[in-house]
Amino acid sequence: MILLENVSKSFKNGVHALRDVNLYIEEGEFVYIIGPTGSGKSTLIKLLDGELIPTTGRVVVAGTDVGNLRHSRVPLYRRNIGVIFQDYRLLPELTVFENIAFALQVIGMDKVTIRHRVREVLELVSLEDKAKSFPRELSGGQQQRATIGRAIANQPRVLIADEPTGNLDPEKSQEIMGLLEKINLEENTTILMVTHDANLVDMNKKRTIALEEGFVVADIQKGGYIRHD
Amino acid sequence: MVQFFKSLPFHINTACKNLIRHFVMTLSASSAVMVTLILLAAFLMIAGNIEGFANHIEDEIRIHAVLSEDIALEEQIAESQRLIEAIDGVKEAEFSDKDHELALWIAEKGEVFSIYEGETNPLHNAFFISVSDPNQIQAITEEIIALDFVDDAMYGGNSISQMVSMINTIRTGIVVFVVLLGMLAIFLISNTIKMGIYSRANEISIMRNVGATNLFIKMPFVFEGMLMGLFGSVIPCILTYFGYRQLYTSMGGRLFSNVFSFQPISPFVFQIMGILIIGGMLVGMIGSFISTTRYLHWKR
Repeated sequence: MILLENVSKSFKNGVHALRDVNLYIEEGEFVYIIGPTGSGKSTLIKLLDGELIPTTGRVVVAGTDVGNLRHSRVPLYRRNIGVIFQDYRLLPELTVFENIAFALQVIGMDKVTIRHRVREVLELVSLEDKAKSFPRELSGGQQQRATIGRAIANQPRVLIADEPTGNLDPEKSQEIMGLLEKINLEENTTILMVTHDANLVDMNKKRTIALEEGFVVADIQKGGYIRHD
Repeated sequence: MVQFFKSLPFHINTACKNLIRHFVMTLSASSAVMVTLILLAAFLMIAGNIEGFANHIEDEIRIHAVLSEDIALEEQIAESQRLIEAIDGVKEAEFSDKDHELALWIAEKGEVFSIYEGETNPLHNAFFISVSDPNQIQAITEEIIALDFVDDAMYGGNSISQMVSMINTIRTGIVVFVVLLGMLAIFLISNTIKMGIYSRANEISIMRNVGATNLFIKMPFVFEGMLMGLFGSVIPCILTYFGYRQLYTSMGGRLFSNVFSFQPISPFVFQIMGILIIGGMLVGMIGSFISTTRYLHWKR
């Protein structure tokens, strides 16, 4: 599903964000990406969703060579990928229902299908009773679930979660974790989760990829959080 | 394509919301369009009428070439006509024999000259020569004088041709001004749109994240720009309609003489109004296209 071949990314200011990264992630996998700030996690996400082009090497997602995409094809490619952010990024003037519907509206889906799919998604993220609420009326955990709902609404094949539990307490984090696992299972969505949360990784052991200074320093099946002393 | 029309209500709705959100900016951009279009309207009214004047004047401006006394035989006349018509820029040479010349003379100067009719006619045969480009008339006249079978040649309406060239200069001046103002209007619109983009940056980043195409993101802004242009064209249209009517009726449909008769109100006014509306919307479209394209291509 995701293949990185000898991928390096350096910026004009001389920063080498990623160095010769080789990765293969299979369809339906759930993978943690861990590493300290500046280790290249954000760059990796941006390479995957087509925002950046690798300096060398190849990034292939769902059969698409992402680095070679024409500017105008990037949006179409992006429909395969859902992204969740630490800061939710919901539109404040829209209700939860409208926020999720918005993601489908802007890719030109028709109204009946949208309504049907949004209901389905709301049920999946357990927000049926909050459909008409505005983001400000929701707790952090609920807002994050709404964001997840929006990200998976058009059934992307890959879901990238950038610190999805960064702003949540451990209990709520576990709840979000449970939801992601459910999506991973029920929709067979490949999930990449970037996180700092050692407890969470230790409690829900999965394949863990550790980045440091742009290198992949560890790639362990059912690894748990890796600490460097 | 079907999808495009289906999403139109969404785009127009968004565009209207943005217009209201940035009311003052909208107003300033629309006024820039308005001033530009008022000038454009003035230009079109002048240009449209000059076109009419010029056509009349072209018919009026003819060179009168008087032939030498000894050119009297038919083949001589045919030969000289051929030579004159061979000159570059000459449209047509119309023969006028000396009896006809005298008749014109009498018509202009008075009946007293009718005593010269018949054998005593002192005038020579002549040609009335029309030219294809009035600006060339002086050069052509000189060329005709240089011909050995021509005694003299002259053209009337020197002042008229000067006037045409003067009006043409004014016309060029207005074009330059309209273009400059149009650029200013585009600049102001693109800045207004830029404000709209930044105030919706969050929304746009989400749109990009879930895979909205660039065109889809651009559409509301393009509509917004077009609406601004449309608003800007309302007052110029009203001014054109009533202004030209007023001018036309108060001048009796002509300036000085029938040579300068104005274009009739309909369809002339409506053609101008059409151009103004399309022009305004086009300026708005270009302005918003520039800023959205720049913004969207700045990132992948």
